[in-house]
Amino acid sequence: MKDFKLSRRTLLRGMGTLMALPVLEQMVPSVARAAGPGAAPRRLAVFYVPCGIYMPNWTPKGTGRDWTLSPTLQPLAPVKDDVLVLSGLSHEPGRPDQFGHHAAGTGAFLSCVKIHKTDEEEDVRAGVSMDQLAARALRPYTRLPSLELGNDGGDGTGSCDASFSCAYARNIAWAAPTSPVAKDTNPRSVFDRLFAGFDPDATRAQIEKRKAYEQSILDFVREDAQGLKQKLGTRDRRKLDEYFTSVRELELRVAALDQQAPTCSKGPRPGNTEDVREKTKVMCDLMVLAFQCDLTRVATFMLGNGRSDRVYDFLGLTSGHHTYSHHQHVPENHAALAKIDRWEMEQFSYLLQRMKSVQEGDATLLDNALVYFGSEVADGNSHGHSDMPVLLAGRGGGTVTPGRHVRYGGKPVANLFISMLQSVGVNVSSFGDDGSGPLSHLKE
Amino acid sequence: MNKVDSRGWRMALAGTACALLLASCTRKEPRANEEPPNPADSQTDQTPPECQGPRDPGRVTLHRLNRAEYDNTVRDLLGDTTRPARDFPADDHGYGFDNNADVLSLGPLLMEKYSAAAEKLVEATWKQDATRDPPLVRVCAPDPADPLPCGRQILERFTRRAWRRPVTSTEVDRLMGFLSLASEHGDSFDAGMKLALRAVLLSPHFLYRVELDPNPASTEPHRLNDYELASRLSYFLWSSMPDEALLAAAGTGTLHTPEQLERQVRRMLADPKAEALVDNFAGQWLYTRALDSFHPDPLLYPFDDGLREAMRQETRLVFREFLLGNRPARDLMDADFTYVNDRLAQHYGLPGPGTQEMRRVSLAGHPERSGLLGQGSILAVTSHPDRTSPVKRGLWVLEQLMCEAPPPPPPNVEGLPPAVDPKMSIKQRMARHRSDPTCAGCHTLMDPIGYGMENFNVVGAWRLKEEVSGAEVDPSGDLPGDVHFKDGVELRAILKADPELDICIAQHLLAYGLGRGPVNADACTLRDVSKQAEARGGRLSDLILAITQSEAFTWRRGEAEGTNEGGAP
Repeated sequence: MKDFKLSRRTLLRGMGTLMALPVLEQMVPSVARAAGPGAAPRRLAVFYVPCGIYMPNWTPKGTGRDWTLSPTLQPLAPVKDDVLVLSGLSHEPGRPDQFGHHAAGTGAFLSCVKIHKTDEEEDVRAGVSMDQLAARALRPYTRLPSLELGNDGGDGTGSCDASFSCAYARNIAWAAPTSPVAKDTNPRSVFDRLFAGFDPDATRAQIEKRKAYEQSILDFVREDAQGLKQKLGTRDRRKLDEYFTSVRELELRVAALDQQAPTCSKGPRPGNTEDVREKTKVMCDLMVLAFQCDLTRVATFMLGNGRSDRVYDFLGLTSGHHTYSHHQHVPENHAALAKIDRWEMEQFSYLLQRMKSVQEGDATLLDNALVYFGSEVADGNSHGHSDMPVLLAGRGGGTVTPGRHVRYGGKPVANLFISMLQSVGVNVSSFGDDGSGPLSHLKE
Repeated sequence: MNKVDSRGWRMALAGTACALLLASCTRKEPRANEEPPNPADSQTDQTPPECQGPRDPGRVTLHRLNRAEYDNTVRDLLGDTTRPARDFPADDHGYGFDNNADVLSLGPLLMEKYSAAAEKLVEATWKQDATRDPPLVRVCAPDPADPLPCGRQILERFTRRAWRRPVTSTEVDRLMGFLSLASEHGDSFDAGMKLALRAVLLSPHFLYRVELDPNPASTEPHRLNDYELASRLSYFLWSSMPDEALLAAAGTGTLHTPEQLERQVRRMLADPKAEALVDNFAGQWLYTRALDSFHPDPLLYPFDDGLREAMRQETRLVFREFLLGNRPARDLMDADFTYVNDRLAQHYGLPGPGTQEMRRVSLAGHPERSGLLGQGSILAVTSHPDRTSPVKRGLWVLEQLMCEAPPPPPPNVEGLPPAVDPKMSIKQRMARHRSDPTCAGCHTLMDPIGYGMENFNVVGAWRLKEEVSGAEVDPSGDLPGDVHFKDGVELRAILKADPELDICIAQHLLAYGLGRGPVNADACTLRDVSKQAEARGGRLSDLILAITQSEAFTWRRGEAEGTNEGGAP
């Protein structure tokens, strides 16, 4: 693929430089469609970490604007005024009847729906996730409705958690109750996907021809699928519906081939790496790049899969994350967890700082975004689902006042999601199993 | 050695089999008054009443190709060895395998990847075929004056292979439409052909393995057509499309006969493509796929990629030999040979073969290394990074070899913390499992099996002392039903004597071979399969053969309307 030749960008090389770019005039049309003249688009991002958090090191002292960073939250110092710490929120839908807290908590993480117990490891069913509702609403404005990213694919063996299907522990985005949205775990392929199909040198006629060709292939295969569907039983038809949905999504991409040329420098194509430090960083960069180029307005990132037992050897730790998370109140385990949590927070802080470095008119990308941080359980040892470790960063275009610590007495996380959805323009008043209305005190 | 009373032990296990609640594991002494199902049944012709009469063959949901299947299929269809599916999102698992049709979903991301892969594959193949001899796709040279007949010939042949069945002339007509489309836009014959080929690769007939029911709403069983059967066979044994010989056999309409089936299965097992059964079936059944993400504590256990690879190869080669060889499948428990190179031999404390290539060596005089339980790959993936886990190892044996998974532990007790007192031996720490009544039931089954493997450390090296505590390893254990073993060798004998070992292996093979979870009637099928296999010699190939000849494999049924559980949005 050739590089885009936008003359004013030719001096810029690399993503680091990219982040400091001022808002581009070319972006304005799509911005205008979204939120009125001059307003920047609002974005929604999710940063998921597995296995919970060691809460005694997490919860800050003080509330309101008068609070101090806890040891685990220390890496947020450069963005303290952009972060809202929300204590005391509960996530009851993530609590399974018996076993499988990690699968249940991850499946419900953004859907707030108690997942279907897959005794037989099939018939997977969760709920539509918060990010996907936002993606649906913001679909008209960008090439990609949403971006699902993660570090771990999952080539493991056996069941993922107490016979719950692996789909629950590996996906936080759900387009439909039976359709997890697979995440991309390969930075290079994410990059290619973001910029696929663009040829800056193509003439109008060439673009039109390409569109006609791509569309004709999709017409052909949809007709195949329709013919097939008539001959199938219920369950098979449901499988084929996934195919139809995916073909429709591809059609939208094809239709947009000429409309939305990227308005920013894409920077170098990242390499592939399995080093979690490097990968996390690149994934964060890609998220910011996708937002900045307005290729999508919704993104989720899973630092690890639910119940991850990753060995953080570079932190000097020898056992796995999940194993440590069952700390049994052993101080050595607490120390190990605190190290992991803090490292996770450094990554989150990196993402926020990147977003903050992107200027959009008078504000920053972070000001125009809402970034949710959370895990599938609170404390990994007791598998708690109340007093969840929750952060909200960004200003949501002025709908949220960060820089504070707010304590809630057991309000559902789903209420926060309602507020977040409203902030990006989705008109909802209830969500999931227990979301009954927007969360109070998000704005001062 | 004690006389092995497998039946008593099996009965104790059975007490946990249908356990849904934790309490079930605490069931004691199940032998009293209760007549166990006679293991000798499998040697008699007596068919239990529930296995008489018509049997439900089950149904396999519309099956999307998983990543391994996609890669192998494009390899065989287009000669492409770049494994494009490596960049596809991971496939979910069901029943321990990533080829379970019910959980293989397809979302927009995957569809985009399919589309990009198809374009790339077609471009590459078209180009290579210009010089490839014989060509895989461009089987004729178009007449410049009238390229259409050759185009038709190429598309007909390619689509038949890609869709794994004959194509109708209407289907080919539709594909020929791409030639007109290209020429309308002023493009060449080649451009039109490439569009058509991409459409073939993006069609549901390629991406899914289609099996049709005459009446999708009827649960009346019917035989698969021979092309559908050919695909079941080839994706079972090769994780790939049927080859020309298999399609030809399907074309004659005789593939479903037992003789023809046997001929094809034997032919296919002998083909190098059957390596897929090692990678995809054994790799998941035995958990050895997890070796990739195995990272032992570097301070305690020296380990590197050379050792990892040698261990992986060892299990592959042993399994491969069982697949092709003349030994009963149950010898997997104590086979007196293995494959090592110098590195692995040194690691195991065996004489080295004098090369870094893997070589077959006898284990005569080393019974502790015999069989699956002596293999580093399996011992490693059932360990924690910094300590062995009798629980994980015991669980692995129960689930993968006995098909008797105990229920998961209750909340809050998962995972064992590192020893509070590093001087405590593993058995002392495990004692907690027995003192707590909520744990005792299940751990009475799991832990002792793991003790029998305690002479192997985290990376599968032989040891007499535990690394951290320095305690002497005690590899003896007591199983329910008054079964005692003094070490790993005796444990192997007990496992090997289990009357349902073959049935369990067959159960995993069936779930993998069909890509679906079990139905009630499968219990009868497995009983028959193991009986037939036993009569032929009880080899792995006999089990596979019996499975491919079972009704579960050769028949299917529709699904009654109104069973639409789960819901569309």
